[in-house]
Amino acid sequence: MTPGPVDWPGGRAALRRRRRPWRNDQTTRRPGDGRGRGTHELDELLQFLIAGLKNGSIYALVALGFTIVFAATGAINFAQGEFFMLGGMLGVFFTELGLPLAVAALAAIAATAAIGAVFELLAVRPIADGDPLRIIMVTIGGAVVLRQLALHLFGPDERALAAFTQGSSLKLLGAAIERQTVWIWALTALAVVALALLYRRTTFGRAMRATSIRRDAARLVGVNASAMVTASFALAAALGAVGGLVVAPLTQTAFGVGAGMGVKGFAAAILGGLGNPVAAVGGGLILGLLESLTAGYVNPSYKDGVAVVVMLVVLFVRPQGLFGGSGRVKV
Amino acid sequence: MRGRMLRLTMAVLTAALAVSLAVSLAACGDDGDGGGTSGEPIKIGAIVSLTGPYAGLGEPEKNTLEMEVKRINDAGGVGGRPIEVIIEDDATDDAKAVAAASKLIEQDEVVAIIGATGTGATMAVRGDVQRAGIPQVSMAGGTIIANPVDPLVFQTPWSNTIVVPFTLDFITSQGITKIGLISDTGGFGADGQAVITGAAPEAGIDIASEQTFNPGDTDMTTQLTKIKNSDAEAIVMWTAGSEAAIIAKNVKDLGIDLPLFGSHGIARREFIDGAGDAAEGVRFAAGKVLIPEAYGEDTEAFTVATDFIDRYTEAFGDAPSTFAGHAYDALYLIVEAAKRIDGDITSEALRDEIEATSGFVGIGGTFTFSAEDHNGMTVNDLIMYEISGGDWTQAQ
Repeated sequence: MTPGPVDWPGGRAALRRRRRPWRNDQTTRRPGDGRGRGTHELDELLQFLIAGLKNGSIYALVALGFTIVFAATGAINFAQGEFFMLGGMLGVFFTELGLPLAVAALAAIAATAAIGAVFELLAVRPIADGDPLRIIMVTIGGAVVLRQLALHLFGPDERALAAFTQGSSLKLLGAAIERQTVWIWALTALAVVALALLYRRTTFGRAMRATSIRRDAARLVGVNASAMVTASFALAAALGAVGGLVVAPLTQTAFGVGAGMGVKGFAAAILGGLGNPVAAVGGGLILGLLESLTAGYVNPSYKDGVAVVVMLVVLFVRPQGLFGGSGRVKV
Repeated sequence: MRGRMLRLTMAVLTAALAVSLAVSLAACGDDGDGGGTSGEPIKIGAIVSLTGPYAGLGEPEKNTLEMEVKRINDAGGVGGRPIEVIIEDDATDDAKAVAAASKLIEQDEVVAIIGATGTGATMAVRGDVQRAGIPQVSMAGGTIIANPVDPLVFQTPWSNTIVVPFTLDFITSQGITKIGLISDTGGFGADGQAVITGAAPEAGIDIASEQTFNPGDTDMTTQLTKIKNSDAEAIVMWTAGSEAAIIAKNVKDLGIDLPLFGSHGIARREFIDGAGDAAEGVRFAAGKVLIPEAYGEDTEAFTVATDFIDRYTEAFGDAPSTFAGHAYDALYLIVEAAKRIDGDITSEALRDEIEATSGFVGIGGTFTFSAEDHNGMTVNDLIMYEISGGDWTQAQ
């Protein structure tokens, strides 16, 4: 210990020595004690896994949006993160208008889906003309426009949304689960199941899949391929909005949250495999877990690097993604 | 088809170029004359974060600068010359702050720079400031800004070297000797972490767990779980961005029953709004402007602070945060120094007069600069706050 300054003549050091025995008595009451170090570490691991699955589910929702648009157009929609942002910001906006939370949330999802559709109709379709490279460029521009619009409409401050269910966290062994996390998991699961049903069971979904497999052939059997692309943007926007809404009570939201989330969602989609909803969810969950375990056992500063490293490694070693097919490219 | 597309693109690009040229020419023609003043304006540059994690800090700073510049010019400016403050947004990005600084110095030829909002950006623009040889008054709280002293750089918030010992003393007075520390890896948090780990042994405090997170992170449950499982008896979080509210929420959601102490970086309404219930009981040290009565009602500091609070509240609908006060202090330190100069207001003369500031009563406290001290504040300018009932109260 370094000696104290002159005007503190060793007083604090003495105070500290006096306090120590008393403190040692106190520490015997610590909740972790008496259960053994092993339980302690298991609780910690469990909490890291919960955090990883929580963030991973959000990445999965954003990644789903990437795969839906990719399936329909063969292009990456770099405005996907902005749909995530719009969901949260519009949710806050509608609650501030006085709407109940559930109504505001549904309105925000519907409005974001409409923005996605309008974006496709007014920007992507006329400019890109179905060329994936041009679609990518239009969506990059669109992302900037949407972000700046949100900045001007809603201001630069972070906004808070009320938790969907009030109350203290749930306990699972030695770990805590926020009620909002349960909502995140439930809504992600619901989105995946709904999407799977839509794709497999409805004519609309079959038409979307047909378009993604072979656009010309789909047209020949009477599918309106352009309408399917518009629908894919609306659907992707709606899923992004769900993610932005459900996470806003935990993290707050702001006009600028979309860019970072877009990168994470993109990395998750690449990791799992583009064009496959289940793979996207798997990619999101794995990415979330990797980040959480890196933060917990290595160094929190490296957490954000994980997404980029994972994306690069997958692109080099297995470009079709962990759960992707045999490298068949859908365009 | 392709050819037509290309011609169309070229036409759009040309039009865009023409418009931007016209706008910049128009901006050059605007001298920004204030009422009751004449002559060349005294140009001061300001670099604030209007977007990004520090937007909640930069916005009140910008509001304050605009409001006070109007007030100064309405009252006759400096020796009859109006003040012009040119505000640039650095988007909480060090690289953009550097670009803003070179624009202010090269194009606008400012005599002084106010800024930046953040410690990282403040340090990033120092290279340009040194080359231009103009005074810089920062609104950020990092220690490295004024310690060691840079002849050109001054600082208006209470630096970490003042706030940290004050906070640690308060913590030991509560019978706490082991803390868990969580700080961001940005300028302010990293600086706070260094000062806290340096000062903790002297204050008789052990750091049981030391955690960091990246600016912009949205989930700190992993780091807080490690603090929870350490011997910490209290959590100290040192960060100024929107992440502080997330930490407070995570602490509550994880069911961690430890007192939470923050830095002066959370002295703003958005923290309380963002953290909601989780903000209750959070304590932090900051200047007295949030509860000006703490100055004593018959003091000049009280009069200055309440006058500013009233005018700001009337103009913007909300009471000012401490960050608005930092901007006020930065502007008036420069303006008062300029008023004391006989003859030409050059950057050199301005720097010397700012350093000669003695007993200036501002919003953050009373400033007395010297060649060895470019922060100018003391521990007497601080009080400990506790958030209670969604509002700031004086902690006991």
